Amino acid sequence: MEYLIKNGYVYDPLNNVKGEKMDIAIKNGKIVSPSELSGDAKTIDASGMVVMPGGVDIHSHIAGPKVSAGRIMRPEDHYKVYMRAIPGVRRSGSGKTTPSTYVIGYKYARMGWTTVFEPATPPLETRHTHEELDDIPILDKGCFPLLDSNWFVLEYLQNKDYDRCAAFIGWLMDAIKGYAIKIVDPGVAEAWSLGMGVGLSLDDQIPNYNLTPREIVRGLCKANQMLKLPHPIHVHCNRLGFPGNYVSTLDTMDAVSDLALNQDTPIIHITHVQFTGYAGDSWATLASGGEEIAKYVNNHKHVSLDLGQIVFGDVTTMTADAPFEFVLHHLAPGKWSSTDVEAETSSGIVPYRYKKKNFVNTVQWCIGLEVALLVKDPWRIFPTTDHPNAGPFTSYPTVLAWLMSRKAREKVFEQVNRRGLRKSALQAIDREYDLYEITIITRAAGAKILGLKDKGHLGVGADADVAIYNLNPEKIDFSKDWETFVKAFKRAAYTFKNGEMVVKDGEILRHMYGETYYVKPRVPESLLKTVVEDVKTRFREWYSINFENYVIGDDELRAVKPIQVETTLKG
Amino acid sequence: MFTLITGRTLEQGRTMEIGKFTKDYMDRVAICEINPEDLKKIGVESGSNVKVKTAYGEVVVKAVSSNTTSPGVVFIPMGPWANMVVNPDTQGTGMPNLKGVPCQIEATGEAIPGIYDLLKKISDKTFEAKISKPEVAVSGRSETYSNVVCCFCGCVCDDLEVSVENGKIKSVKNGCAISMAKLLNYDRERAYKPMVRKNGKLVETSLEEALNEAAKILAEAKYPLIYGWSSTSNEAMRHGVYLAELTGGVVDNTSVSCHGPTILGTQQAGVVKATLGQIRNRADLIVYWGCNPVYAHPRHTVRYSAMAKGRFVKGRKERKIVVVDVRPTPTSKIADMFIQVKQGMDYELITALRMAVKDHTIEAPTVAGVPREKILELADMFRSARFGVIFLGMGLTMTSGKGRNLEEAIKLVQDLNEWTKFVLLAMRGHYNVTGTNEVIVWLTGYPYAVDFMLGYPRHNPGITTATDVLIRGDVDAALIVASDPASHFPRKAVEHLAKIPTIVIDPRWSPTASLADVFIPTRYVGIECEGVVYRMDGVPLRAKKLVDPPPEILSDEEVLGKLVEKVEALKLGR
Ligand code: SF4
Ligand SMILES: [Zn+2]
Repeated sequence: MEYLIKNGYVYDPLNNVKGEKMDIAIKNGKIVSPSELSGDAKTIDASGMVVMPGGVDIHSHIAGPKVSAGRIMRPEDHYKVYMRAIPGVRRSGSGKTTPSTYVIGYKYARMGWTTVFEPATPPLETRHTHEELDDIPILDKGCFPLLDSNWFVLEYLQNKDYDRCAAFIGWLMDAIKGYAIKIVDPGVAEAWSLGMGVGLSLDDQIPNYNLTPREIVRGLCKANQMLKLPHPIHVHCNRLGFPGNYVSTLDTMDAVSDLALNQDTPIIHITHVQFTGYAGDSWATLASGGEEIAKYVNNHKHVSLDLGQIVFGDVTTMTADAPFEFVLHHLAPGKWSSTDVEAETSSGIVPYRYKKKNFVNTVQWCIGLEVALLVKDPWRIFPTTDHPNAGPFTSYPTVLAWLMSRKAREKVFEQVNRRGLRKSALQAIDREYDLYEITIITRAAGAKILGLKDKGHLGVGADADVAIYNLNPEKIDFSKDWETFVKAFKRAAYTFKNGEMVVKDGEILRHMYGETYYVKPRVPESLLKTVVEDVKTRFREWYSINFENYVIGDDELRAVKPIQVETTLKG
Repeated sequence: MFTLITGRTLEQGRTMEIGKFTKDYMDRVAICEINPEDLKKIGVESGSNVKVKTAYGEVVVKAVSSNTTSPGVVFIPMGPWANMVVNPDTQGTGMPNLKGVPCQIEATGEAIPGIYDLLKKISDKTFEAKISKPEVAVSGRSETYSNVVCCFCGCVCDDLEVSVENGKIKSVKNGCAISMAKLLNYDRERAYKPMVRKNGKLVETSLEEALNEAAKILAEAKYPLIYGWSSTSNEAMRHGVYLAELTGGVVDNTSVSCHGPTILGTQQAGVVKATLGQIRNRADLIVYWGCNPVYAHPRHTVRYSAMAKGRFVKGRKERKIVVVDVRPTPTSKIADMFIQVKQGMDYELITALRMAVKDHTIEAPTVAGVPREKILELADMFRSARFGVIFLGMGLTMTSGKGRNLEEAIKLVQDLNEWTKFVLLAMRGHYNVTGTNEVIVWLTGYPYAVDFMLGYPRHNPGITTATDVLIRGDVDAALIVASDPASHFPRKAVEHLAKIPTIVIDPRWSPTASLADVFIPTRYVGIECEGVVYRMDGVPLRAKKLVDPPPEILSDEEVLGKLVEKVEALKLGR
């Protein structure tokens, strides 16, 4: 099918298009020049509407063993929120904070999002992660393997053997179809295996290893640079969830500052910074460290951030930071799940509810917004909710409205804990994002930091992933009428995925599948051979499955999109 | 009056893999183990026939003297005979009372019924053996495969070495008694042609006609049951969920009658687990509670637990082993400590342990038949372990308390994490029961017993569970895939299954197949086709294809894919 989207206000920051009236043409799944369309092209009248690239989410827990563990332990999350099947059109599903796979794909697409990355997968169980990703309709996707407590990584780093560490990671990404290096509370899973690791700091020693979290972060950052992976190391800092932890976050960012080579692109991404942006020395004295973090980011180009913005209401917290979930289990007694994965990682899950009247929750809510409003460069800040940790991804329109409208924030100020509100600079900030900046933080910057060249823009040759919202930027003052924005962003007027119309008037039109991205770093053969031999010899002792069965074939996934990467490794 | 318990045995598992219609299977399963004292009391010789009577039925089996069975308790291996007498009430959990059923035992001159005799008692369908001989492959590949994934039990060992000669499996290395039995005998009890029931009899037909008939049954049904799955691949399971959605039926897997209660416990409390490699590398205290891996998961202790050599804990000598069960088992023989809990009183014992762990005072001198001192000793062992694990078996899930037992066990482990590192793991039986639970949960939001009557997933154990919808007679058709409920569900459920139009898709011939209205033979996952399966701890593996399937036989995944298309055509008018 060919389409001509006529007369929309086009927002395409990567091509410097700022709301000009333009026509966008779609053919064979790609954006083409309108002159290339045949007479059969269908015209979509987008006058009075906004046209943008499809949304790109760099951090949302949508697939894998911990996500399903969350679903299993929370039937109550599914009783009231469900989607009915429409035979021949869409499938059914259920769940609010831990939705089933079809619901995930549909709800993202209804909002105009078309690419989403799962940011934490245990390598040993990544076959499972891919099975779930495969069952998420419409979206393109990928996943980040957890590597900070992987025994091979730890051994190589301990021996300062960065070449082999990088070669191993290069092999692993290809073998299990991963996309980027994920670091969660670096080294913590190894400590948690001994029932330790609560509050691990950047310079503590990891049990059994002559290594500190700092060395792990630096080592993996070096490996990432040698491999030239498209995405920077993706880091959940130590001491997440502990008052005073903004210092750890600053230290973590600074731990790799000397490795930055003057380039414009970040070499470290700090994820859900809200959870590691706490000043104060106890829950009672909690305050925001957001200003300090924003100041650092404004002065250092090697860092990017995503928010982990709190949305009041029910969530399911789930993270590879198992000791933190153990702590949360004490703060919020009730259900608690935890899983250790041999030689690699661990995870924990605790259901939670953010309450407006709660002092701590109010401070948390402020921190995310404060950071987002104080960081000047919209290309290095991402408005995630760390779904489903700080809020479900379905709250994105609300989160964006808070960024776009002081009024929208003020409405919340009236409802939250007064004392908590005073613990940050948020009330004093007047900044409001405009729609161009919103387009950057929700699509263009995501595609850029993931290195997805055909996504996040509407230039000729881009993937025809397009969202159209029923919003007239010439008529609407988002600062005042943020509710109209929320309504329009909740249900896109149209969503196109790979040139197919998948959403119209906010409703799903068809069930189809996207692709899974993974990286294939070119590791020199002799080095690869040495490392694979090394891995094989220890695999039997360390793992309970055989090496050959660890590797995932391309044919096991519905549709793969390997990204070849030239490394700087020498043979 | 005696108390009847049922459960797995090694011989039941081994002979079941060779064939449920063999004399061997009947000799091992149509038995009742009775304490010699009790035998004397009722005046029965070991080896003679007895009639076991409960409030739910009666059955004739052979009495076998057994020292490991406590006085007052009798044991029948799970299977078609036990099902004639177990209590079908699931008390809102989906799990019938398979352990702890009051029964009477008397000498009898009656013969032990065969499987077909049992089926004839509950249905007036004609039952015939349709087992045929495999068509001998004229030629076939010869190859030796290593890293073979064993698709039998929840251990899913992935290190077998299988040699194939001329398209036939010749030898198996690294296997256990069960996997050997399966891999060398998998085609002993098979039917190789699709069949439909015409004028009361199953007759051979084309795949096309069998699929048409099956599609018609499903499309016309108001509320079909789509059940089985735990012995097939995740790929097949996906089709199963879709069929339930398309037909507004209910989809369920065999966890309903194994670890469904463990899931219910998890829904209440969460769960604290680890993969088997983590346990092997680190656990210095291993508790087997209500499970008997030496029988049911033969390589578990060697590969993953008691005897296994790990990175930090090198083997049996560096581990303490505890077994908690209602009677001594082969597993308790390898234990450092055996705790004999009174049948049906696990909940009390776990609660006492939780109290002891927290230093609360236990006033009773014994709890669940266990002396207080023993409980305190055990609690101390738990707290002083470096890395402890409890493996939970069906001794907890099938006995009274069901999900509550598991919830309490999970809470015990959660409590223990205040002192040390402690995890637990359910000993899942079928090789892919874990995987099919996962597929169902990620597609629907619930792990089993999912109902689509209203067009969206709902889950209400005790209402939407396979056992309950059959026992209550709610469903009006059934699709059974890779499973044999006629051998494993209580009599009342099987009675209803025999009444309604039933489609069976299975590589093998089974008692359930013999009551089918449509039967479609398929390939064995892990022998004749590939497929993704999940080990009991959730580790996913891809099973290999070792030999070519018999001609014209497709995989479960392929057959179900075709069935989906046909049901779609009928339902959506495509
Ligand atoms: S223990 Fe289970 S999985 Fe392992 S070889 Fe035996 S039957 Fe197969
Ligand atoms: Zn996250």
